[in-house]
Amino acid sequence: MSARSICPDFASLEVAWDAWSKPFWQAASERTLVMPRCGACGTFRWPVGPFCPECHAQSVEWLPPGQGSIYSFTILPVPGAYPTAAPSWRVPVLVEFADAPGVRLVSVLIDAPLDAIAIGDVVEPDWRPAANAKVPVFRLAVG
Amino acid sequence: MSATTGAAIVGIGRTPYYFRGTSAPQTIYELIGKAVFAALEDAGLSIEDVDGLAFFAAGFDCGTIMEQLGIPELTFSHIVSGYGGGMAAILDLATMGVTTGRAKTVVCIGASQQVGRRLGQVLGNLTATPEMIFHRIAGLAGPGQALALSARRHMHRYGTRREAFGEVVMASRAAAATRDTALRRKSLTLDEYMASPMLADPLCRLDFCLETDGALAFVVTSAERAADLPQEPVHIAAAAQVATRDWGRAFFWLNQPDDAFTTAGAGAVAERLYGLAGIRPKDIDVALIYDHFSPLVIMQLEDYGFCGRGEGGPFVESGAIRLDGALPINPHGGHLSEGYVVGMTHIHEAVEQLRGTAVNQVFGARTALVTGGPAPVPMSAAILRNER
Repeated sequence: MSARSICPDFASLEVAWDAWSKPFWQAASERTLVMPRCGACGTFRWPVGPFCPECHAQSVEWLPPGQGSIYSFTILPVPGAYPTAAPSWRVPVLVEFADAPGVRLVSVLIDAPLDAIAIGDVVEPDWRPAANAKVPVFRLAVG
Repeated sequence: MSATTGAAIVGIGRTPYYFRGTSAPQTIYELIGKAVFAALEDAGLSIEDVDGLAFFAAGFDCGTIMEQLGIPELTFSHIVSGYGGGMAAILDLATMGVTTGRAKTVVCIGASQQVGRRLGQVLGNLTATPEMIFHRIAGLAGPGQALALSARRHMHRYGTRREAFGEVVMASRAAAATRDTALRRKSLTLDEYMASPMLADPLCRLDFCLETDGALAFVVTSAERAADLPQEPVHIAAAAQVATRDWGRAFFWLNQPDDAFTTAGAGAVAERLYGLAGIRPKDIDVALIYDHFSPLVIMQLEDYGFCGRGEGGPFVESGAIRLDGALPINPHGGHLSEGYVVGMTHIHEAVEQLRGTAVNQVFGARTALVTGGPAPVPMSAAILRNER
């Protein structure tokens, strides 16, 4: 059986946000993934900032981004507890969304069989506790 | 018709290259001083002749250099912003200085010292700002880990093979084998490459460049004055820096448009550079390609027009980048095998190639390309030429 990717422990991670990214983390606290779209011209921008780079408007609406899929990924060895211990594997994943064209979110793909991960695979968000927030991670969609 | 800027490199100097952290107890200013004094001696000039500095933002400053090296007065002092992408723009700055009369003798400096820190983990060391928090969550601690995402996407889109990455590394080792300055000189087989442990799949350990301590310096003056100095002048035919929005913060951003994601971000600077120099890719005799990670060499070969988009893998697998190939690249062994001082060794090698004094001389080389590395904008590159 193939090794599976780890789920890192985020318990001590202090998530930094600002006025523009705060709505993302507010929605995250309710286990809801949203992405920012320009309130004037409808262009998604990420990471969110004070201006739409297309039309320079400032207003933002936060929307569910739709189905996520793997745009790219890598597999990183995580050193074992002892120098001689076998590594475990962490999978950074870059996710694109069906209803949020032009933006991608990078996070970690958890509990995935390492030899079965492919670009294009559909993924679903899951949530893990950090010191001051809930952190979005992804899993391969079932079925 | 080829053009030139009116500026020339007339002196080069460098320290030995040291494995990361092993240049202590020398300070970075001691390394810089040794490189600068060596470059001035090479140029037949003295520290009192220096009236301009151009360098790359990497942990040292103008005031301390003047204080420690005894430079009396500068009328030009400029720093290229950003990361390795901007490194070749020190030649652009120096050209600006000497061709506008702001300075007569500009010394370009590049240096790196990694005592107690590692460039390879620069992302992990940064404060997790609101823009960077997701890199922390993902676990992307260094540029190589983030650029692995580009490499995998290039493989997916174009069918690029790990054998191509391996060829970049093997060609680099083959070049380094003859060089006393190179830190990695042992030859490498494809089997050995394939057995190298994965550090950021699809990148194995051998796809990552060295982390090196060292300093290099280059003396730039006007072409007119260069004619009276001892060394054969190496002319700066063109030097350019370009920042494009679709490349932006590169591996810090990861939101480049799809067509840009699988490039090295250098298409715009390549176009501008060839336009300024009035030449085409086929006119380049030797290319010094910023090789921090082997897949990014392949993407740069596409960006700089040596092959078509997506054809970089087959191009290198054909043997084209070997010393006896159609486009010899990095005859000094590059960052993968000689040493990594944020691109400066590439300028040094270009100058030696055009003086005809390189260890692995490309016979009859007249025109050399030096590229800055795929990194946050600005991206930069230069074309150098001799008078032969």
